[in-house]
Amino acid sequence: MPALSLRSLARAASLPAGGTAEPLEDIRGIATITGVGETAVSGPSGRDPRQMALEAVAAAIADAGLQPQDIDGLMVSGHIADQITPEDFHRHFGTPGPLWFSTEGGAMIWAATCAHEAAMAMRARRATHIVNVFAVDWATRRAAGTGTPGDWHAGEDMKAHLEVPLGWYPQPVYFATFARRYMHEYQLTEAQLAAIPLTFRRHANGHPGAVMRDRGLTLEAYLARPPLAGPLRREDCCLISDGAAAWVMSPSERAADMPRIPIHIDGVGHGRIAGAPYISQQLDLTATPQVFAAPWAYAMAETAPAEVDVIAVYDCFSSTALMQIEDLGFCRKGEGGSFVQEDRLHYARTRRQGGIPCNTHGGLLSHGYLLGASHVVELVRQLRGSAANQVTDAQRAVYAGFTADEAATLVLSRGGA
Amino acid sequence: MNGPDLDHPLAGPFWSAAARKELQVTWCAACDRAVWYPRPHCPHCDGNLHWRRLSGEASLISWCEVAGGLNPQFREAYTCALVSPLEAPDIRIVMRVTENTTPALRCDMPGRVDFVYLQQTNGAPYLAPAFTPYA
Repeated sequence: MPALSLRSLARAASLPAGGTAEPLEDIRGIATITGVGETAVSGPSGRDPRQMALEAVAAAIADAGLQPQDIDGLMVSGHIADQITPEDFHRHFGTPGPLWFSTEGGAMIWAATCAHEAAMAMRARRATHIVNVFAVDWATRRAAGTGTPGDWHAGEDMKAHLEVPLGWYPQPVYFATFARRYMHEYQLTEAQLAAIPLTFRRHANGHPGAVMRDRGLTLEAYLARPPLAGPLRREDCCLISDGAAAWVMSPSERAADMPRIPIHIDGVGHGRIAGAPYISQQLDLTATPQVFAAPWAYAMAETAPAEVDVIAVYDCFSSTALMQIEDLGFCRKGEGGSFVQEDRLHYARTRRQGGIPCNTHGGLLSHGYLLGASHVVELVRQLRGSAANQVTDAQRAVYAGFTADEAATLVLSRGGA
Repeated sequence: MNGPDLDHPLAGPFWSAAARKELQVTWCAACDRAVWYPRPHCPHCDGNLHWRRLSGEASLISWCEVAGGLNPQFREAYTCALVSPLEAPDIRIVMRVTENTTPALRCDMPGRVDFVYLQQTNGAPYLAPAFTPYA
Protein backbone atom coordinates (compact mmCIF):
# COMPACT_ATOMS: atom_id res chain seq x y z
CA MET A 1 0.00 0.00 0.00
CA PRO A 2 1.72 3.25 -1.09
CA ALA A 3 1.98 5.89 1.65
CA LEU A 4 -0.19 8.98 1.28
CA SER A 5 1.77 12.25 1.19
CA LEU A 6 1.08 15.02 3.70
CA ARG A 7 -0.19 17.14 0.81
CA SER A 8 -2.70 14.53 -0.30
CA LEU A 9 -3.82 13.97 3.31
CA ALA A 10 -4.33 17.72 3.78
CA ARG A 11 -6.26 17.95 0.52
CA ALA A 12 -8.47 14.98 1.37
CA ALA A 13 -9.10 16.30 4.89
CA SER A 14 -10.35 19.72 3.62
CA LEU A 15 -10.65 21.38 7.02
CA PRO A 16 -13.09 24.15 7.95
CA ALA A 17 -11.99 27.58 9.23
CA GLY A 18 -11.18 28.22 12.87
CA GLY A 19 -8.46 25.71 13.55
CA THR A 20 -5.71 23.48 12.23
CA ALA A 21 -4.68 19.85 11.99
CA GLU A 22 -1.25 18.49 12.90
CA PRO A 23 0.46 17.23 9.74
CA LEU A 24 0.60 13.59 10.83
CA GLU A 25 2.36 11.25 8.40
CA ASP A 26 0.61 8.18 7.02
CA ILE A 27 1.35 5.29 9.41
CA ARG A 28 -0.96 2.61 7.99
CA GLY A 29 0.26 -0.96 8.15
CA ILE A 30 2.90 -0.40 10.83
CA ALA A 31 1.33 -0.99 14.22
CA THR A 32 -1.43 -3.06 15.80
CA ILE A 33 -2.92 -3.29 19.27
CA THR A 34 -2.12 -6.78 20.55
CA GLY A 35 -3.05 -6.63 24.23
CA VAL A 36 -5.26 -4.65 26.60
CA GLY A 37 -5.46 -4.49 30.38
CA GLU A 38 -7.16 -2.49 33.08
CA THR A 39 -7.73 -2.30 36.81
CA ALA A 40 -11.07 -2.06 38.50
CA VAL A 41 -12.60 1.40 37.99
CA SER A 42 -14.06 2.91 41.15
CA GLY A 43 -14.87 5.89 43.30
CA PRO A 44 -12.46 6.91 46.08
CA SER A 45 -10.33 3.82 46.77
CA GLY A 46 -7.07 5.06 48.23
CA ARG A 47 -5.23 3.11 45.53
CA ASP A 48 -1.85 4.42 44.41
CA PRO A 49 -1.88 5.52 40.75
CA ARG A 50 1.53 3.97 40.03
CA GLN A 51 0.42 0.63 41.46
CA MET A 52 -2.75 0.81 39.37
CA ALA A 53 -0.70 1.63 36.26
CA LEU A 54 1.61 -1.36 36.83
CA GLU A 55 -1.38 -3.64 37.39
CA ALA A 56 -2.94 -2.52 34.09
CA VAL A 57 0.41 -2.88 32.28
CA ALA A 58 0.88 -6.42 33.63
CA ALA A 59 -2.62 -7.35 32.46
CA ALA A 60 -2.02 -5.89 28.98
CA ILE A 61 1.32 -7.70 28.59
CA ALA A 62 -0.25 -11.01 29.63
CA ASP A 63 -3.20 -10.40 27.28
CA ALA A 64 -0.74 -9.94 24.42
CA GLY A 65 0.94 -13.26 25.27
CA LEU A 66 4.20 -11.45 26.03
CA GLN A 67 6.60 -11.32 28.97
CA PRO A 68 7.63 -8.04 30.64
CA GLN A 69 11.13 -8.36 29.13
CA ASP A 70 9.55 -8.30 25.64
CA ILE A 71 8.40 -4.72 26.23
CA ASP A 72 10.94 -2.16 24.99
CA GLY A 73 8.75 0.94 24.81
CA LEU A 74 6.69 2.79 27.42
CA MET A 75 4.29 5.67 26.87
CA VAL A 76 2.65 7.65 29.68
CA SER A 77 0.95 11.01 30.13
CA GLY A 78 3.24 13.99 30.55
CA HIS A 79 0.26 16.09 31.60
CA ILE A 80 -1.28 14.21 34.54
CA ALA A 81 0.74 13.67 37.73
CA ASP A 82 1.90 10.38 39.22
CA GLN A 83 2.34 8.30 36.06
CA ILE A 84 4.96 5.54 36.02
CA THR A 85 8.57 5.97 34.84
CA PRO A 86 10.90 3.44 33.16
CA GLU A 87 12.50 3.00 36.60
CA ASP A 88 9.12 2.07 38.09
CA PHE A 89 8.63 -0.44 35.27
CA HIS A 90 12.04 -2.05 35.76
CA ARG A 91 11.71 -2.16 39.53
CA HIS A 92 8.29 -3.77 39.38
CA PHE A 93 8.97 -6.33 36.64
CA GLY A 94 12.68 -6.94 37.31
CA THR A 95 13.53 -6.17 33.69
CA PRO A 96 17.00 -4.88 32.80
CA GLY A 97 16.78 -3.83 29.14
CA PRO A 98 16.61 -0.36 27.60
CA LEU A 99 13.13 1.12 27.38
CA TRP A 100 12.15 3.70 24.76
CA PHE A 101 10.11 6.22 26.77
CA SER A 102 7.61 8.87 25.73
CA THR A 103 5.45 11.23 27.77
CA GLU A 104 3.22 11.80 24.70
CA GLY A 105 0.98 8.91 25.74
CA GLY A 106 -1.83 8.43 28.22
CA ALA A 107 -5.51 9.30 27.70
CA MET A 108 -7.66 12.16 26.30
CA ILE A 109 -6.22 13.12 22.88
CA TRP A 110 -3.06 11.16 23.63
CA ALA A 111 -5.01 7.89 23.69
CA ALA A 112 -5.31 8.50 19.93
CA THR A 113 -2.03 10.25 19.11
CA CYS A 114 0.07 7.72 21.08
CA ALA A 115 -0.74 5.25 18.31
CA HIS A 116 0.90 7.56 15.77
CA GLU A 117 3.90 8.19 18.02
CA ALA A 118 4.29 4.43 18.59
CA ALA A 119 4.07 3.65 14.87
CA MET A 120 6.74 6.26 14.14
CA ALA A 121 8.97 4.75 16.84
CA MET A 122 8.50 1.27 15.33
CA ARG A 123 9.26 2.57 11.84
CA ALA A 124 12.50 4.12 13.17
CA ARG A 125 13.34 0.81 14.95
CA ARG A 126 13.41 2.54 18.32
CA ALA A 127 11.05 0.02 19.88
CA THR A 128 9.15 -3.17 19.07
CA HIS A 129 6.46 -3.83 21.68
CA ILE A 130 5.27 -0.54 23.19
CA VAL A 131 2.85 -0.27 26.11
CA ASN A 132 0.75 2.87 26.65
CA VAL A 133 -0.71 3.29 30.13
CA PHE A 134 -2.84 5.83 31.97
CA ALA A 135 -3.74 5.92 35.66
CA VAL A 136 -5.81 8.40 37.63
CA ASP A 137 -6.83 8.73 41.28
CA TRP A 138 -8.97 11.84 41.08
CA ALA A 139 -11.81 10.21 43.05
CA THR A 140 -9.43 9.70 45.97
CA ARG A 141 -7.88 13.14 45.52
CA ARG A 142 -11.22 14.93 45.39
CA ALA A 143 -12.44 13.12 48.50
CA ALA A 144 -9.22 14.07 50.28
CA GLY A 145 -9.33 17.68 49.05
CA THR A 146 -5.91 17.33 47.42
CA GLY A 147 -6.81 17.98 43.81
CA THR A 148 -9.55 18.31 41.21
CA PRO A 149 -9.83 18.07 37.42
CA GLY A 150 -10.16 21.88 37.43
CA ASP A 151 -6.66 22.53 38.74
CA TRP A 152 -5.03 23.07 35.33
CA HIS A 153 -7.77 25.50 34.31
CA ALA A 154 -7.52 27.44 37.56
CA GLY A 155 -3.76 27.75 37.11
CA GLU A 156 -3.59 28.85 33.46
CA ASP A 157 -2.65 32.55 33.41
CA MET A 158 -5.48 34.16 31.42
CA LYS A 159 -8.13 31.78 32.74
CA ALA A 160 -6.99 32.51 36.27
CA HIS A 161 -7.26 36.27 35.74
CA LEU A 162 -10.17 36.76 33.31
CA GLU A 163 -12.43 33.73 33.84
CA VAL A 164 -12.06 32.40 37.38
CA PRO A 165 -12.69 35.78 39.14
CA LEU A 166 -15.99 36.01 37.22
CA GLY A 167 -17.05 32.46 38.05
CA TRP A 168 -16.63 30.92 34.58
CA TYR A 169 -15.17 27.81 36.21
CA PRO A 170 -14.98 24.80 36.64
CA GLN A 171 -15.45 22.77 33.44
CA PRO A 172 -19.22 22.08 33.74
CA VAL A 173 -19.71 25.85 33.46
CA TYR A 174 -17.81 26.03 30.16
CA PHE A 175 -19.68 23.21 28.52
CA ALA A 176 -23.07 24.27 29.86
CA THR A 177 -22.50 27.67 28.26
CA PHE A 178 -21.73 26.00 24.93
CA ALA A 179 -24.69 23.61 25.30
CA ARG A 180 -27.01 26.59 25.84
CA ARG A 181 -25.73 28.19 22.66
CA TYR A 182 -26.20 24.92 20.78
CA MET A 183 -29.78 24.67 22.07
CA HIS A 184 -30.42 28.18 20.75
CA GLU A 185 -28.92 27.60 17.32
CA TYR A 186 -30.32 24.11 16.69
CA GLN A 187 -33.45 23.90 18.89
CA LEU A 188 -32.04 21.02 20.92
CA THR A 189 -34.29 20.16 23.90
CA GLU A 190 -33.22 18.82 27.28
CA ALA A 191 -35.30 15.67 26.65
CA GLN A 192 -33.38 15.09 23.39
CA LEU A 193 -30.02 15.59 25.10
CA ALA A 194 -31.11 13.04 27.73
CA ALA A 195 -30.75 10.26 25.14
CA ILE A 196 -26.98 10.43 25.63
CA PRO A 197 -26.75 9.90 29.40
CA LEU A 198 -29.65 7.41 29.26
CA THR A 199 -28.12 5.27 26.51
CA PHE A 200 -24.67 5.33 28.09
CA ARG A 201 -26.22 4.35 31.43
CA ARG A 202 -27.95 1.36 29.81
CA HIS A 203 -24.59 0.33 28.38
CA ALA A 204 -23.05 0.60 31.86
CA ASN A 205 -25.89 -1.50 33.27
CA GLY A 206 -24.75 -4.29 30.95
CA HIS A 207 -21.03 -3.90 31.61
CA PRO A 208 -19.60 -5.68 34.67
CA GLY A 209 -16.73 -3.18 35.06
CA ALA A 210 -18.83 0.00 34.98
CA VAL A 211 -19.08 2.15 38.11
CA MET A 212 -22.81 2.69 37.42
CA ARG A 213 -23.59 -0.94 36.50
CA ASP A 214 -26.27 -1.25 39.22
CA ARG A 215 -27.78 2.23 38.88
CA GLY A 216 -30.64 2.67 36.45
CA LEU A 217 -31.72 6.02 34.99
CA THR A 218 -35.08 6.94 33.48
CA LEU A 219 -36.02 9.97 31.43
CA GLU A 220 -38.44 11.06 34.17
CA ALA A 221 -35.74 10.84 36.83
CA TYR A 222 -33.29 12.70 34.58
CA LEU A 223 -35.71 15.56 33.86
CA ALA A 224 -36.62 15.83 37.55
CA ARG A 225 -33.01 16.48 38.52
CA PRO A 226 -32.04 20.12 39.18
CA PRO A 227 -29.50 21.79 36.90
CA LEU A 228 -25.92 21.65 38.17
CA ALA A 229 -24.65 24.07 35.53
CA GLY A 230 -27.82 24.88 33.62
CA PRO A 231 -28.78 23.48 31.18
CA LEU A 232 -26.60 20.52 32.29
CA ARG A 233 -27.55 18.20 35.15
CA ARG A 234 -25.18 16.04 37.18
CA GLU A 235 -26.10 13.10 34.88
CA ASP A 236 -24.72 15.12 31.94
CA CYS A 237 -21.30 15.35 33.64
CA CYS A 238 -18.59 12.69 33.81
CA LEU A 239 -17.90 10.63 36.90
CA ILE A 240 -14.74 11.19 38.92
CA SER A 241 -12.90 7.88 39.28
CA ASP A 242 -9.83 5.90 40.28
CA GLY A 243 -8.39 3.34 37.86
CA ALA A 244 -5.92 2.54 35.12
CA ALA A 245 -5.94 1.12 31.60
CA ALA A 246 -3.15 0.06 29.24
CA TRP A 247 -2.59 -1.43 25.83
CA VAL A 248 0.33 -3.02 23.98
CA MET A 249 1.14 -1.90 20.44
CA SER A 250 3.24 -4.26 18.30
CA PRO A 251 4.58 -4.29 14.73
CA SER A 252 1.90 -5.49 12.31
CA GLU A 253 4.15 -8.16 10.80
CA ARG A 254 4.52 -9.80 14.23
CA ALA A 255 0.87 -9.58 15.23
CA ALA A 256 -0.16 -12.62 13.15
CA ASP A 257 1.97 -14.81 15.42
CA MET A 258 0.48 -13.39 18.62
CA PRO A 259 -2.52 -14.92 20.41
CA ARG A 260 -5.12 -12.19 20.02
CA ILE A 261 -6.91 -10.96 16.91
CA PRO A 262 -4.74 -8.05 15.74
CA ILE A 263 -6.39 -4.64 15.87
CA HIS A 264 -4.85 -2.46 13.15
CA ILE A 265 -4.04 1.21 13.64
CA ASP A 266 -5.31 2.68 10.36
CA GLY A 267 -5.57 6.42 10.89
CA VAL A 268 -4.82 9.19 13.37
CA GLY A 269 -5.84 12.85 13.32
CA HIS A 270 -5.04 15.69 15.73
CA GLY A 271 -6.66 19.13 15.56
CA ARG A 272 -6.78 22.30 17.61
CA ILE A 273 -8.75 25.53 17.62
CA ALA A 274 -7.17 28.81 16.61
CA GLY A 275 -6.24 30.76 19.73
CA ALA A 276 -5.86 27.63 21.88
CA PRO A 277 -6.29 27.12 24.78
CA TYR A 278 -9.00 29.80 25.08
CA ILE A 279 -12.20 27.96 24.21
CA SER A 280 -14.33 31.02 25.11
CA GLN A 281 -12.97 32.59 21.90
CA GLN A 282 -13.29 29.63 19.51
CA LEU A 283 -14.95 30.48 16.22
CA ASP A 284 -17.85 28.05 16.60
CA LEU A 285 -19.06 27.42 20.16
CA THR A 286 -21.37 24.67 18.90
CA ALA A 287 -18.55 22.53 17.44
CA THR A 288 -15.47 20.79 18.82
CA PRO A 289 -11.93 20.62 17.42
CA GLN A 290 -12.92 17.13 16.29
CA VAL A 291 -13.81 18.91 13.01
CA PHE A 292 -10.06 19.46 12.51
CA ALA A 293 -8.97 15.99 13.65
CA ALA A 294 -11.44 13.47 12.23
CA PRO A 295 -11.10 14.34 8.51
CA TRP A 296 -7.34 13.76 8.69
CA ALA A 297 -7.79 10.38 10.37
CA TYR A 298 -10.41 9.29 7.82
CA ALA A 299 -8.17 10.46 4.96
CA MET A 300 -5.25 8.43 6.31
CA ALA A 301 -7.40 5.33 6.85
CA GLU A 302 -9.12 5.92 3.49
CA THR A 303 -12.45 5.39 5.17
CA ALA A 304 -15.59 7.35 6.06
CA PRO A 305 -18.19 7.40 8.84
CA ALA A 306 -20.50 5.13 6.80
CA GLU A 307 -17.86 2.38 7.08
CA VAL A 308 -17.51 2.62 10.88
CA ASP A 309 -19.33 0.11 13.10
CA VAL A 310 -18.74 1.42 16.63
CA ILE A 311 -17.35 4.60 18.21
CA ALA A 312 -16.12 5.74 21.61
CA VAL A 313 -16.34 9.47 22.21
CA TYR A 314 -14.74 11.54 24.99
CA ASP A 315 -17.97 12.29 26.85
CA CYS A 316 -16.78 14.61 29.61
CA PHE A 317 -20.26 16.11 29.16
CA SER A 318 -23.29 14.81 27.26
CA SER A 319 -23.32 17.89 25.05
CA THR A 320 -19.64 17.41 24.19
CA ALA A 321 -20.42 13.86 23.07
CA LEU A 322 -23.35 15.12 20.99
CA MET A 323 -21.20 17.70 19.21
CA GLN A 324 -18.41 15.21 18.55
CA ILE A 325 -20.83 12.66 17.06
CA GLU A 326 -21.73 15.40 14.58
CA ASP A 327 -18.14 16.53 14.12
CA LEU A 328 -17.08 12.93 13.40
CA GLY A 329 -19.56 12.99 10.52
CA PHE A 330 -22.27 10.61 11.73
CA CYS A 331 -24.91 13.28 11.12
CA ARG A 332 -24.94 16.88 9.99
CA LYS A 333 -24.19 19.79 12.33
CA GLY A 334 -27.34 20.66 14.23
CA GLU A 335 -29.04 17.30 13.60
CA GLY A 336 -27.41 15.52 16.55
CA GLY A 337 -30.39 16.03 18.85
CA SER A 338 -32.73 14.09 16.59
CA PHE A 339 -30.02 11.64 15.45
CA VAL A 340 -29.36 10.30 18.96
CA GLN A 341 -33.04 9.43 19.53
CA GLU A 342 -34.59 5.98 18.94
CA ASP A 343 -31.64 4.10 20.43
CA ARG A 344 -29.34 5.09 17.58
CA LEU A 345 -26.35 5.06 19.96
CA HIS A 346 -27.32 1.74 21.55
CA TYR A 347 -25.02 -1.22 20.89
CA ALA A 348 -27.85 -3.40 19.58
CA ARG A 349 -28.76 -0.92 16.86
CA THR A 350 -25.98 -1.25 14.32
CA ARG A 351 -24.81 1.02 11.54
CA ARG A 352 -26.86 -0.92 9.03
CA GLN A 353 -29.97 -0.08 11.05
CA GLY A 354 -29.19 3.62 10.93
CA GLY A 355 -27.36 3.95 14.22
CA ILE A 356 -23.80 4.21 15.43
CA PRO A 357 -23.16 2.28 18.66
CA CYS A 358 -21.38 4.75 20.95
CA ASN A 359 -19.62 4.34 24.31
CA THR A 360 -20.76 0.75 24.65
CA HIS A 361 -19.04 0.45 28.06
CA GLY A 362 -20.94 3.41 29.49
CA GLY A 363 -18.41 6.15 28.74
CA LEU A 364 -17.06 8.77 31.13
CA LEU A 365 -20.66 9.42 32.17
CA SER A 366 -21.41 5.92 33.49
CA HIS A 367 -18.44 3.53 33.12
CA GLY A 368 -15.71 5.59 34.75
CA TYR A 369 -13.54 8.62 34.27
CA LEU A 370 -10.31 7.19 32.92
CA LEU A 371 -10.19 10.12 30.50
CA GLY A 372 -10.72 7.96 27.42
CA ALA A 373 -8.21 5.16 28.13
CA SER A 374 -11.07 2.73 28.83
CA HIS A 375 -12.72 3.88 25.60
CA VAL A 376 -9.84 2.46 23.56
CA VAL A 377 -9.81 -0.79 25.57
CA GLU A 378 -13.55 -1.12 24.90
CA LEU A 379 -13.12 -0.60 21.16
CA VAL A 380 -10.41 -3.28 21.04
CA ARG A 381 -12.81 -5.69 22.75
CA GLN A 382 -15.58 -4.74 20.31
CA LEU A 383 -13.33 -5.48 17.32
CA ARG A 384 -12.18 -8.76 18.88
CA GLY A 385 -15.82 -9.73 19.41
CA SER A 386 -15.44 -10.04 23.18
CA ALA A 387 -17.25 -6.95 24.49
CA ALA A 388 -19.90 -7.12 27.21
CA ASN A 389 -22.32 -5.20 24.98
CA GLN A 390 -21.11 -6.68 21.71
CA VAL A 391 -21.93 -4.91 18.44
CA THR A 392 -22.72 -7.48 15.74
CA ASP A 393 -19.81 -8.01 13.33
CA ALA A 394 -17.81 -4.93 14.38
CA GLN A 395 -15.00 -4.48 11.83
CA ARG A 396 -13.99 -0.83 12.16
CA ALA A 397 -14.01 1.50 15.18
CA VAL A 398 -13.24 5.15 15.89
CA TYR A 399 -12.09 6.75 19.14
CA ALA A 400 -12.62 10.50 19.54
CA GLY A 401 -10.33 12.10 22.15
CA PHE A 402 -10.78 15.62 23.45
CA THR A 403 -9.18 18.16 25.76
CA ALA A 404 -11.53 21.09 24.91
CA ASP A 405 -9.15 23.14 22.73
CA GLU A 406 -7.73 20.04 21.02
CA ALA A 407 -9.20 16.80 19.71
CA ALA A 408 -7.77 13.62 18.21
CA THR A 409 -9.20 10.71 16.25
CA LEU A 410 -8.05 7.09 16.07
CA VAL A 411 -9.33 4.68 13.41
CA LEU A 412 -8.94 0.97 14.24
CA SER A 413 -9.90 -2.16 12.31
CA ARG A 414 -10.10 -5.87 12.99
CA GLY A 415 -7.37 -7.90 11.37
CA GLY A 416 -7.70 -11.39 9.94
CA ALA A 417 -8.24 -14.11 12.57
CA MET B 1 -5.72 34.14 45.00
CA ASN B 2 -9.21 35.21 46.05
CA GLY B 3 -9.95 38.04 43.65
CA PRO B 4 -8.60 39.86 40.62
CA ASP B 5 -4.95 40.89 40.49
CA LEU B 6 -4.78 44.59 39.58
CA ASP B 7 -1.01 44.30 39.17
CA HIS B 8 -1.11 41.46 36.66
CA PRO B 9 0.86 42.68 33.62
CA LEU B 10 -1.71 41.51 31.06
CA ALA B 11 -5.06 41.39 32.86
CA GLY B 12 -4.60 44.02 35.58
CA PRO B 13 -5.86 46.99 33.51
CA PHE B 14 -9.17 45.18 32.86
CA TRP B 15 -9.78 45.06 36.59
CA SER B 16 -8.52 48.59 37.26
CA ALA B 17 -11.02 49.80 34.66
CA ALA B 18 -13.80 47.67 36.18
CA ALA B 19 -13.09 49.30 39.55
CA ARG B 20 -13.99 52.61 37.80
CA LYS B 21 -17.05 50.94 36.21
CA GLU B 22 -15.46 51.03 32.80
CA LEU B 23 -15.27 48.15 30.32
CA GLN B 24 -11.88 48.05 28.58
CA VAL B 25 -10.25 45.55 26.24
CA THR B 26 -6.91 45.44 24.44
CA TRP B 27 -6.95 46.93 20.94
CA CYS B 28 -4.53 46.92 18.01
CA ALA B 29 -4.34 50.40 16.47
CA ALA B 30 -2.75 49.12 13.24
CA CYS B 31 -5.38 46.43 12.66
CA ASP B 32 -8.11 48.53 14.30
CA ARG B 33 -9.54 45.52 16.06
CA ALA B 34 -9.91 44.11 19.54
CA VAL B 35 -7.50 41.40 20.69
CA TRP B 36 -8.88 39.19 23.44
CA TYR B 37 -7.48 37.78 25.66
CA PRO B 38 -4.70 40.35 26.21
CA ARG B 39 -1.26 39.45 24.86
CA PRO B 40 2.11 41.18 24.73
CA HIS B 41 1.65 41.93 21.00
CA CYS B 42 -1.03 41.72 18.30
CA PRO B 43 -1.26 38.13 16.99
CA HIS B 44 -2.09 39.46 13.51
CA CYS B 45 0.55 42.17 12.93
CA ASP B 46 2.80 41.82 15.99
CA GLY B 47 2.16 45.52 16.72
CA ASN B 48 1.63 47.13 20.09
CA LEU B 49 -1.72 46.86 21.86
CA HIS B 50 -3.39 49.50 23.98
CA TRP B 51 -6.40 49.41 26.29
CA ARG B 52 -9.57 50.93 24.85
CA ARG B 53 -12.72 51.86 26.72
CA LEU B 54 -15.89 50.43 25.20
CA SER B 55 -19.43 51.82 25.30
CA GLY B 56 -20.88 48.88 27.24
CA GLU B 57 -23.43 48.13 24.52
CA ALA B 58 -23.29 44.37 24.07
CA SER B 59 -25.08 41.17 23.17
CA LEU B 60 -25.48 37.95 25.13
CA ILE B 61 -23.79 35.05 23.33
CA SER B 62 -24.68 32.42 25.92
CA TRP B 63 -24.92 31.87 29.65
CA CYS B 64 -24.86 29.25 32.40
CA GLU B 65 -26.82 29.04 35.65
CA VAL B 66 -24.33 27.76 38.20
CA ALA B 67 -25.82 25.89 41.16
CA GLY B 68 -24.63 26.90 44.61
CA GLY B 69 -21.71 24.74 45.70
CA LEU B 70 -20.44 23.78 42.24
CA ASN B 71 -17.79 26.50 42.29
CA PRO B 72 -16.11 26.54 45.70
CA GLN B 73 -15.08 30.19 45.30
CA PHE B 74 -18.70 31.40 45.25
CA ARG B 75 -21.13 29.90 47.77
CA GLU B 76 -24.40 31.12 46.25
CA ALA B 77 -25.93 30.22 42.89
CA TYR B 78 -25.13 32.70 40.12
CA THR B 79 -25.33 33.19 36.37
CA CYS B 80 -22.31 33.90 34.22
CA ALA B 81 -22.11 34.54 30.52
CA LEU B 82 -20.10 35.08 27.37
CA VAL B 83 -20.83 38.59 26.09
CA SER B 84 -19.76 40.27 22.84
CA PRO B 85 -19.29 44.06 22.92
CA LEU B 86 -20.90 46.12 20.14
CA GLU B 87 -17.51 47.49 19.02
CA ALA B 88 -15.92 44.03 18.84
CA PRO B 89 -18.54 41.40 18.00
CA ASP B 90 -15.86 38.77 17.31
CA ILE B 91 -14.60 38.58 20.90
CA ARG B 92 -16.36 37.25 23.96
CA ILE B 93 -15.84 38.63 27.44
CA VAL B 94 -16.65 36.49 30.46
CA MET B 95 -19.10 38.37 32.70
CA ARG B 96 -21.80 37.87 35.25
CA VAL B 97 -25.47 38.41 34.45
CA THR B 98 -27.28 40.97 36.60
CA GLU B 99 -29.52 39.16 39.07
CA ASN B 100 -33.31 39.01 38.68
CA THR B 101 -33.22 40.12 35.07
CA THR B 102 -36.37 40.87 33.13
CA PRO B 103 -36.99 39.83 30.38
CA ALA B 104 -35.91 36.17 30.37
CA LEU B 105 -32.47 35.53 28.94
CA ARG B 106 -32.05 34.44 25.34
CA CYS B 107 -29.00 34.13 23.13
CA ASP B 108 -28.15 37.21 21.02
CA MET B 109 -30.34 39.52 23.11
CA PRO B 110 -29.01 43.09 23.38
CA GLY B 111 -28.13 44.74 26.65
CA ARG B 112 -25.60 46.86 28.49
CA VAL B 113 -22.68 46.13 30.75
CA ASP B 114 -23.17 47.16 34.36
CA PHE B 115 -20.85 46.52 37.28
CA VAL B 116 -21.65 44.46 40.36
CA TYR B 117 -19.71 43.59 43.49
CA LEU B 118 -18.43 40.02 43.71
CA GLN B 119 -16.68 38.38 46.64
CA GLN B 120 -14.83 35.07 46.67
CA THR B 121 -14.40 32.83 49.68
CA ASN B 122 -11.95 34.56 52.06
CA GLY B 123 -11.52 37.48 49.64
CA ALA B 124 -12.37 41.18 49.48
CA PRO B 125 -15.26 42.54 47.36
CA TYR B 126 -14.45 43.79 43.86
CA LEU B 127 -16.38 45.32 40.97
CA ALA B 128 -16.95 43.03 37.99
CA PRO B 129 -18.82 43.47 34.69
CA ALA B 130 -22.35 42.07 34.47
CA PHE B 131 -24.65 41.87 31.46
CA THR B 132 -28.05 43.53 31.90
CA PRO B 133 -30.59 42.84 29.15
CA TYR B 134 -32.62 45.73 27.76
CA ALA B 135 -36.20 45.48 28.96
